[in-house]
Formats: sequence, structure tokens, C-alpha cells
Amino acid sequence: MSLEVGLATLMLIVFVSGLFSSGTARRCAGMIAAAGLLVLIAASFLLPPAGPGAGGAFVDDGLARFAKRLFLVSTFIGVLASLSLAAEVFSRRATEYYLLMLSSLLGMMVLASARDLILLFVAFELMSVPLYVLSGFLKREPEAIEAALKFFLVGSVSSAVMAYGLSFVYGVAGTTSLPGVAKALGSEPPLLVFGLAAVLAGFGFKIAAFPFHMWVPDTYEAASTPFVAWLSVAPKAAGFVAIFRVYLEGVGDRATLWLPAAAGLAAVTIIGGNLMALPQQNVKRLLAYSGIAHIGYMLVGLAAVSASGTAMVLFYLVVYVFGNMGAFLVVEAVARSEGAEHLGAFRGLAQRSPLLALAMLLFLLSLGGIPFVAGFWAKLYVLWAAAQAGLYWLVLLGAILTVVALFYYLAIARRMYIEAPARPEPIRLHPTLALCVILCALGVVVLGVYPTPLVLAALRAAAPLF
Amino acid sequence: MGLQAYLLLAAAVFAIGLFGVLTRRNAVGILLGIELMLNAVNINLVAFSRFNGDLAGMVFALFTIAITVAEVAVGLAIVIVIFRVRKTVEADRLDLLKG
Repeated sequence: MSLEVGLATLMLIVFVSGLFSSGTARRCAGMIAAAGLLVLIAASFLLPPAGPGAGGAFVDDGLARFAKRLFLVSTFIGVLASLSLAAEVFSRRATEYYLLMLSSLLGMMVLASARDLILLFVAFELMSVPLYVLSGFLKREPEAIEAALKFFLVGSVSSAVMAYGLSFVYGVAGTTSLPGVAKALGSEPPLLVFGLAAVLAGFGFKIAAFPFHMWVPDTYEAASTPFVAWLSVAPKAAGFVAIFRVYLEGVGDRATLWLPAAAGLAAVTIIGGNLMALPQQNVKRLLAYSGIAHIGYMLVGLAAVSASGTAMVLFYLVVYVFGNMGAFLVVEAVARSEGAEHLGAFRGLAQRSPLLALAMLLFLLSLGGIPFVAGFWAKLYVLWAAAQAGLYWLVLLGAILTVVALFYYLAIARRMYIEAPARPEPIRLHPTLALCVILCALGVVVLGVYPTPLVLAALRAAAPLF
Repeated sequence: MGLQAYLLLAAAVFAIGLFGVLTRRNAVGILLGIELMLNAVNINLVAFSRFNGDLAGMVFALFTIAITVAEVAVGLAIVIVIFRVRKTVEADRLDLLKG
């Protein structure tokens, strides 16, 4: 629990720094937050694992530790990228921005450790509510607040559905602890099955699986891009960790109950995400739909219901953090220079800023799953785990739609490398944004060339769940 | 009255709330629907807690109430900001984002 205490202390420091500064000086809150997150990342590797706390409701096992490092690293990149936002974006509200990001992070961290339904629900909401505020942070822009309203309405309805499901799970199991729920499942009462289905629907909204995805493209298009880069990875990862806790640790040995739902959800999410991404002209919307497709691939790993499948989802999440955040941050750099986010803004980028174009190409190849970039291994391992579990139809479907995905990823690459630029001058990159892009590119390349240590770490994290 | 009566009451309240969310055009009306759905959860939790003889459900209900309040506060804030900029809170007329 020491990491969470450290994070809460950091939030307090950021809050106090906001009280004692004014105007644009408040942006130093972001630097304090970034420095604090760096310390927490180091602490997460150095601290020894602690025993379960709060009467077994809070655990510090391999899965929690793996997930927390992922959340911390992605939030660090998100905060760093937000430092590059112009002063008028924040309009004297920088403290609130970083404080909300950190409180959402606190929710994710607690969620990763929660082994009790009450704690799980509270942590889930602590993660979600700041996201609604942040997505409407640009409160003078009609699109941004409209997207925030949509996100809020969909998100809180899904929370209500999830809470309704949790109430049935509690009622039938007679306890709020997840090991207790697992014991109660032996008799399979219909109310419990209904409750678990409602909870899965609630999680589906949060990770943006296909029928529950409608808030994603609007929110991604309208909110500020560094925030969207973070929103597209960290809460999704937290949603998956919560799913692992409830559906594998809680009811893993009764997986036949929810396996068809997970496999079906994976299939429609892959198909829906990829097909809807094809006609998009706005790059942020395109990445939003492609992100939905990636969630589908991760659900394939979940549907495998095996230690290797779960581990490969964790590996996929790490790869997705670097690839997706990197792509969004390049879009931010281009959009800031061109004032537009449509595909045409990328025309001739390779001649204007060769390094930026190369970084974008790496991210696109990783997202598309081309060999020797990280995304290839992620897709390969997830499909492999599904094949081991005998889900051959899902493997075939995933492989076919990877080709469809290449079509729209390479459409961006074609504009960058083949078409002539509209303007010759290079794109000016804010230093912290450049640093974030470099970090993400490094992550994609290193994990692509040498994925073994991370794969082994993910296997170690997932093994105790089975 | 048995447990079943309470569960039916909660299901009815939940269904009314969901109906309101899906059919209301006014953002405040949708918020009211969400509130009803979360109150159905509380009825469920308290009923289960009473009939199972286990206090955890009551604690869960208290947390749900607190979370609902926080959520609705954020929701109303967003609605106020929308009203200031767009001069409307009708969901039909908030259609800048499409595609």
C-alpha cells in the first residue's frame, strides 16, 4: 500500500503548490507531478512485495505490481506530454488538470489491488469520475464539453449497470470478498450469472468493447490530445486488470459461464473496430476505432482463459501503451503545427521532419503488427494463446482483420512518405513532446527486438491467477 | 414481505431509470434516470444485507450513495458548462460530433 500512500502524498504536494502559486506559474504543478511519478516508478521496482492488507481486501501480488508499473509509466508519459500544452489551454487551471490525472491514477492503482467488491467499485469510480472532468477540460470549446457530456452519460449508466450486477453477486454469494464469491459459484444460481453478465457489460463500456464503444471516437476527437493519449491506454489497462480479478481470480474455474460472452465480444470488437476505422479521415477518430480493434485482440487473450493468454494480454497492454500513446503524440505535434487533424495534414511529413515521420511509421507498424516491431509479438502471442485454447475461428478472424488494419495504417504512411508536402518547412516540436515521442519509440523498438524479459515478467505476473 | 418483493421493486426502479435514460431528451432528465438506476442498486444491497444477515451490504450501499452524489455533481457541472456555451441542454441538439 506504500505506493498508494506515496501517490496520495504527491497529490497533496501538487495541491499545495497550486495554492501558493498563481496564473501561469501553476504549470509547475506538472513538473512536480512528473518528478513525483518518476520517484514512484523507481519505488515500484525497489520496494519488496507486501502482504495482503485491509483484511485481505487489498493485495500486492504479481498482477497488481505489474499493472501498477504500467499505470505509473503511462501516466508519467501523459503528464510529460501535457507539459507541452500551451498556457491558454490551461487558462490558470493547470493544478486541477494534474490533480485530476493523479487522482484517476490513484483509482487505477487501488483497482489493481482490490480483492473486494466494495473496494473494486469505489476504486473504479475514483478512476472514472476525474476522466469525465478532464475530457471536458477545454470548457470554452463546444465540441469538448459535448464529448464530455456523452462520456459522462455513457460512463455513469455503465457504472449503474455494473453496480446493479455487483449487488446481485454480493446478494447471492453473501460476501463481498472475491475468494468468497468464487466459493459460492459452485451451485451456479441464475441470479449470480445475471449479475456477472451485468458486471461484464459495465467493464465492456470502460474498455470500449464493440457494442459499448460509442463514446470513444467523440471523446478522443474533441478532448486535448495528450490527455487522450493517456485516456486511450491507462484506463483500458485498468479495466482489463479488474476483469482479470473478477473473472479469472474470482470465477476462473467456472469459466464456461462467461467464456462464450468474452469470445463473442472479442470477435465483434475486432470486426467492428477495424471496419469502422477504414473510412475515417480524422486521424484521432481513426486511432480511436483502431484502439477499439486492439481491445478486441486483448479480449481474445482473455477468452483463452489460460495463464499464457492472460500474460500475453498484459504484454499486449504494455506494447499498446507505447504504440498508441506515441501515435497520438505525433498527431498532437502535427496538429499543433498544421491546425488540423485530418489525414491530409500528414502529407509529405517524411520530407519535412524525417525523424518525426520515422517515429510515426514505427508506431503505425507496431499497431499494425509488422514483424520486429513490438506490436507483432503482442498480436502473435495473443493469437497463439487462443490457438492453444482451441479457439481457431477467433485466431483466423484476428489474422484476417490484421490485414484490413494494415490498410488504414499504411494509408497514413503513404501520405507521409509518398505524397508531396503542402508546405516545405519542418514541424516545430516542443521539447517535452519530443522527449515523450522518443520514449515511446524506444519502447516500441526495444520491445520489438528483445521482448523476452517482459514476456517472462508477464508470465510470472499471470501465473498465480490459475 | 420476502426478499423477492424487494428485488422486484429494485428491478422496477432500475427499469424506470433505464427507460428515462433512453427516452429523455433533456440532459437533466437523463441524470435523473441515472440516479434512479443507482437507487435501485441501493434497494438491492440493503435487502440482500437484511436477508443474509450480513452488514457488508449496508456499507456497500453507503459507498454507493457517496459515489452517486460525486458523479451527479460532476454531471450537473458539465450540464451547466454546456448550457453556458450552447444555451441548450437538449441532447438532440448537441450534435457537433458525428462520423
